[in-house]
Amino acid sequence: MKVLATYNIKGGVGKTATAVNLAHVAAAHGNRVLVWDLDPQGAATFYFRVKPKVKGGGKAIVRGSLELGDAIKATDFDNLDLVPADFSYRHLDLWLDDAKKPLVRIRRALRQVSEEYDYVFLDCPPSISLTSESVFRAADALLVPTIPTTLSLRTYEQLDRFVEENPDMVRELKILGFFSMVDRHKRLHRRFMNDLRTAHPELLEATIPNSTDIERMGVHREPVGAYGKGSKPARAYEALWSELQTRL
Amino acid sequence: MSKVRRYEVTAAGDFASVLSVLTDHLGLRLLSLDEGERSWLDTSTGTLERAETTLEFRLPSGDGTPSLTWAAEGRVLVYDPCVSSTPPVKASDLPASAAFARLVTLVDGGELVAGPTVNSQIAVLACLDEEEKTTARVIFDRSETIDGVTLPMMLEVLPLRGYEDEASSLEKKLKRSVALSASAAPMKELALQGRSSGRVSGGGKDVAALVPTMSAARAWRVVFQTLTDSMTQSFSGVLSGNDPEDLHAFRVAVRRIRTILQDGDDVVDPESRDRFRHEYRWLGDVTTPTRDADVHLIEFPELAATLPPSRREELASFNEVLLRHRSDCQAAMTIELRSMRRAEFGTAWLSFLADDDAWTGCADLADEPVLRIVLRRVEKANRQLVKNGRKISKKSPAIALHELRKEGKRLRYLLECFAPLFDEKALATILRPLRDVQDVLGEFQDTEVQANALLELAGELEGADDHSALMAIGGVIEQLGVRGADARASFSKTFGRFDDRKVQRAFDQLEPRKKKR
Repeated sequence: MKVLATYNIKGGVGKTATAVNLAHVAAAHGNRVLVWDLDPQGAATFYFRVKPKVKGGGKAIVRGSLELGDAIKATDFDNLDLVPADFSYRHLDLWLDDAKKPLVRIRRALRQVSEEYDYVFLDCPPSISLTSESVFRAADALLVPTIPTTLSLRTYEQLDRFVEENPDMVRELKILGFFSMVDRHKRLHRRFMNDLRTAHPELLEATIPNSTDIERMGVHREPVGAYGKGSKPARAYEALWSELQTRL
Repeated sequence: MSKVRRYEVTAAGDFASVLSVLTDHLGLRLLSLDEGERSWLDTSTGTLERAETTLEFRLPSGDGTPSLTWAAEGRVLVYDPCVSSTPPVKASDLPASAAFARLVTLVDGGELVAGPTVNSQIAVLACLDEEEKTTARVIFDRSETIDGVTLPMMLEVLPLRGYEDEASSLEKKLKRSVALSASAAPMKELALQGRSSGRVSGGGKDVAALVPTMSAARAWRVVFQTLTDSMTQSFSGVLSGNDPEDLHAFRVAVRRIRTILQDGDDVVDPESRDRFRHEYRWLGDVTTPTRDADVHLIEFPELAATLPPSRREELASFNEVLLRHRSDCQAAMTIELRSMRRAEFGTAWLSFLADDDAWTGCADLADEPVLRIVLRRVEKANRQLVKNGRKISKKSPAIALHELRKEGKRLRYLLECFAPLFDEKALATILRPLRDVQDVLGEFQDTEVQANALLELAGELEGADDHSALMAIGGVIEQLGVRGADARASFSKTFGRFDDRKVQRAFDQLEPRKKKR
């Protein structure tokens, strides 16, 4: 089982869209996939039309008194399940802080379902906190959507530095950055992409376009590949998944 | 994991009317409605079935895309539209994807063969909650085998993980709105059994339909259809293993089909005859150990009763051995009966019976009147039985009696399967003493087979140092020896009653007399 976390310190960069759409693509390729919506906003849960409620409470999962498997809900898509968000996740940092060995809590919970899934996508809230550090410990790779702007460059480099400075915490974590919400009509986007690729050749080749098709996920409440099969963003997520396979 | 719940739709009405109840009355959303051919694939050793998965190849009618679906307990592991309109045979024919890679590993180089094939109308429906999220899927399926056997309409409820309560509530509503009866068998199994909700198109399965002037091939076909019906009716009982009578009836039908095939020389298409004789022999063989085990269990109490009461108690542990042995035999037989070999052969046999062209001008004597052909074969079988029966003496080896029993069976099956063609009185005159001969020969052979089997099974007790039980089994085997010797001693007299002038003359009177005008 590979654990992939969509993560960025900055919000509104397409983390949830990445988690939902890549999970959908991976499942369509016959992989058994689980999405764990750790963001109390519950956007991934909303996209899958699942009620944002964990029976027994999110705290119980973190504490280990509730099996992760008991919180899983099937989505409408074959091979794709979800651990829904719970508004109480806003206290996740506090619960972890109270717990013994907080950094391994998420990893331990995931270990219970390791035989059932090939890929787990963790949709993380934007921040650097105890939750993120626990996610870093649980994940095999961080998928970092990055908008080609100055601010995004700064946050990407912040994350890179954090990982470099904390080798014990992140262990063998891979940082896989890619450009998200790209508008190729914008000269600034094109320029930043060139500059960033020069500075960070490890960035993935595949890019996700800024598209109303992706925004329409909120209307359709399903992954873009479900209602816009063959559309430009659907093809982009396919390409991203395909490239990820070579980097994992 | 959520389990599929299956129901047979017993409601009156056709597919469309039941579907409209599901959508209009129960508010289920129709996700897809497909029509076309579908086959279940597996390796010849049933690897996928043992792994509790199914691989289904669908060929939609019209312009639809063929597809391949690998599923476990209603959960689709992978679905893939295929380029080819023929099912994959080798692992390399499967689409390249992570899930199919798992399937390739499972198949492990074995070839895929198409099992039962049906023509289906399948509706997939979703039960939605207030967020329009699917909480359960419903598959409504109406299928018929490619030979025209209409299978019962099936309805499957697939609860989604985390929504089990919603699925239970849906089931309650379904039961209130549509007449359903719980069913354990998935459509693949029904197709495998060819269990019909009606009759095979082209009908005429009743042996009473036999008339002396009909063509031999047509008459043979009618007999085969009747016997196949009887075999099919007992099939699910054979698989469940609850009632030994089902297996007995199944084996009788199989043996009769084999015998009538054997006597179908120059009547049945030679290539098909050879193939099916071979397959029916195999089918008979795979059921023999279980039937023998049944006989041990049925007769053991009676045999044990011949021992002194103190010895009887010592046999309790051996009864456990017999039960365990029976259970092992049933398990081994079930694997064979669910195998692709059985599925392929069953489908081919039904196709053969349903194919009108396969029964016209298919062999030299196919179009001859049946009575003439059957009388000739009865005469030959009787001549052989009489000749070899007269040769039996007290010194004849057991094998000579076993061979004679087979010859007797052949004659008896010919007479019984084509009974409506013959003069009733003459037939009764022959059958009575013939059955007696068969009973004597059967008792002789059965006691011998049973004694050998008990001796072998007794070996399983030795490890436990159960000497008292072994001694008691020795007593039972001795009893069997006595019964066998009695049967052999009575052979001459019993056979004499068959080899009697009056009975033999009745063979000349088998042809019904023409009614005077």
